[in-house]
Amino acid sequence: MKSRIAADRLRDLQTITDAALAFLPLDVLLDELLTRVIEILGADTAAILLLDEDESELVARAAKGLEEEVERGVRIPLGRGFAGRIAATRMPVRILNLADADIFNPILREKGLESMLGVPLLVEGEVIGVLHVGTLRQRAFDEDDTELLQRAGDRAALAISSRLTEHERGLANALQRSLMPRLPQLPAVSLAGRYLPAAAARLGGDWYDAFALPDGRLGLAIGDVVGRGFHASAIMGQLRSGLRAYALDGMPPGEVLEKLNRLLRQLEPGRTATLVYIVLDPHGGGLVAAGAGHPPPLVNPADGEPWFAELPSSVPLGASRYVRYDELELELEPGSTLALYTDGLVERAGESLDTGLERLATTVSAGYANLEHLGDALVDVMLPEGAGDDDAALLVARAEVLGETLVARFPAEVESIPVMRRLLGRWLDEAGATRADVEDLMLASAEAAANAIEHAYGLESGVVEVRAWISGEGPVKVAIRDFGNWRAPRGTHRGRGLLLMENLADVVEVVRSDEGTTIELSRRLGAEVA
Amino acid sequence: MNGGSAKVDYHDAVGVVRLTGEVDISQAQELRGHLLGAVRNEDLGLVVDLTDATYIDSVGVSLLFELADKLAARQLQLAVVLPEGGLIERVLTIVNVASVAEIHRDVDDALSAIRGA
Repeated sequence: MKSRIAADRLRDLQTITDAALAFLPLDVLLDELLTRVIEILGADTAAILLLDEDESELVARAAKGLEEEVERGVRIPLGRGFAGRIAATRMPVRILNLADADIFNPILREKGLESMLGVPLLVEGEVIGVLHVGTLRQRAFDEDDTELLQRAGDRAALAISSRLTEHERGLANALQRSLMPRLPQLPAVSLAGRYLPAAAARLGGDWYDAFALPDGRLGLAIGDVVGRGFHASAIMGQLRSGLRAYALDGMPPGEVLEKLNRLLRQLEPGRTATLVYIVLDPHGGGLVAAGAGHPPPLVNPADGEPWFAELPSSVPLGASRYVRYDELELELEPGSTLALYTDGLVERAGESLDTGLERLATTVSAGYANLEHLGDALVDVMLPEGAGDDDAALLVARAEVLGETLVARFPAEVESIPVMRRLLGRWLDEAGATRADVEDLMLASAEAAANAIEHAYGLESGVVEVRAWISGEGPVKVAIRDFGNWRAPRGTHRGRGLLLMENLADVVEVVRSDEGTTIELSRRLGAEVA
Repeated sequence: MNGGSAKVDYHDAVGVVRLTGEVDISQAQELRGHLLGAVRNEDLGLVVDLTDATYIDSVGVSLLFELADKLAARQLQLAVVLPEGGLIERVLTIVNVASVAEIHRDVDDALSAIRGA
């Protein structure tokens, strides 16, 4: 008799762990598995619930005899009721008499279930869902039943996780790519960014962004949408677009955060996000920052100790209806580095936050000349084993020292002109020019660049190069060069452009060659120009 | 440090367009709309106030000339208000804006000049 039971048992187990199941599409596999479980255990119902992306609720995924559970999209909070308790404790739960039990899902009672048995679905020790069976007549499930159901649960978990992680990995990769903005390339400010997805390719809500504003300044942002999973990532994407849209409209940081607060509250009430948005003038070093409950940016001056720029106290986005986000203004001197980061970079299990922040400050001030190297070093030092449960983002910016000769190339587009003008302005400042020198040469150079942009390339895209130097003890020279075909300036405003150049510089020379045209302006600093 | 912006106020039959920030090639299209749209049928003229403008280039200057042209065709006057001694004055002197617009130091002077004409 005993051996007869043992043989049945073996057959039952084989039924559940049947390798042929692996070839079925996931939905068919789960369906088949539930049918077999009902048959073997003599149950009336069986259901699989999976933890959602936020890992806060169980959602019915497949059911037999309890199809309503899936149809109605039942969601059970982690820790609540029968299934919620199984997921929270990662332990099987047996119920002899449903009438006496704490049940969250009304469908179980509506169906008239008497007894239930449920087991956690586990992948590498992490719970991903729950499998449970029920009977209409009272039934005392025993150890053997529990073990068998757990085997079936393991089989289901394996199938689900291998498909989910494939799917999630694809999404996480796509997301990661889209998270990496193409950082603007500027001669006056270097930038480097890093994003590290959480372990197990879980989607997260961290992001960074850097973009040129229409007036030539730079927008820098870093943020963290609270929560996990695809949904948190989707919200992050929307916030990121929202931020760019408001920023491109020229709104100052405090106002951008106020608008984003309103946006987030409308997109998803109850969801919160932390964020820092900074507008940096690459050519003056002036910086305006506002933060919403985010860790403070780190400033590492060219000479001096690194310090954390505590932003005016603020609450996370989404936390409160009417919030004012005050701004902090400071100067980023040439040679200084600014580091923006999310908590995933500085937090480590079993360690105080201060230790992480100190490690960050030490690394940023270690003197990496190349920002990309600093970015790599930060990832290595801060997260030697990769990101943990939380994802991490990092954006570093450095105000570069321009040096004796300025050389910079810009796309031959109108939008480059304000940027070029300011860069030249900063270089002239460093070269000791007076305010009138700076203004006049900036304008004359901008006219030369506008001429190149409008006339050198037709409708093709091209490049304009600006070079500035001090010629011995003599005048400042600014050469604006294009690589296109010369065409005489035309139209009245270009005529006025030439007129302005000639009046604002001492000498204007136009050199044409097969390779393009160079307009060279020279002006003696500190002299009166008529 | 800001991109240019324009704000229009009306003082009886004269519009005053206040241009702030940078009046340049990168802002020209937008500013042009504001400037040309500021003139109403019944107006006597238009004042362009550059007191808070920080920068103007040849494209910005050409906007002023275009505006003066359009106003002149309708027998309307253009007055430009600008502070003394900055880049804006240097530029407008070089291109001789005074040939098409009256130059004033403040908006009240410009308004009374247009009304008195």
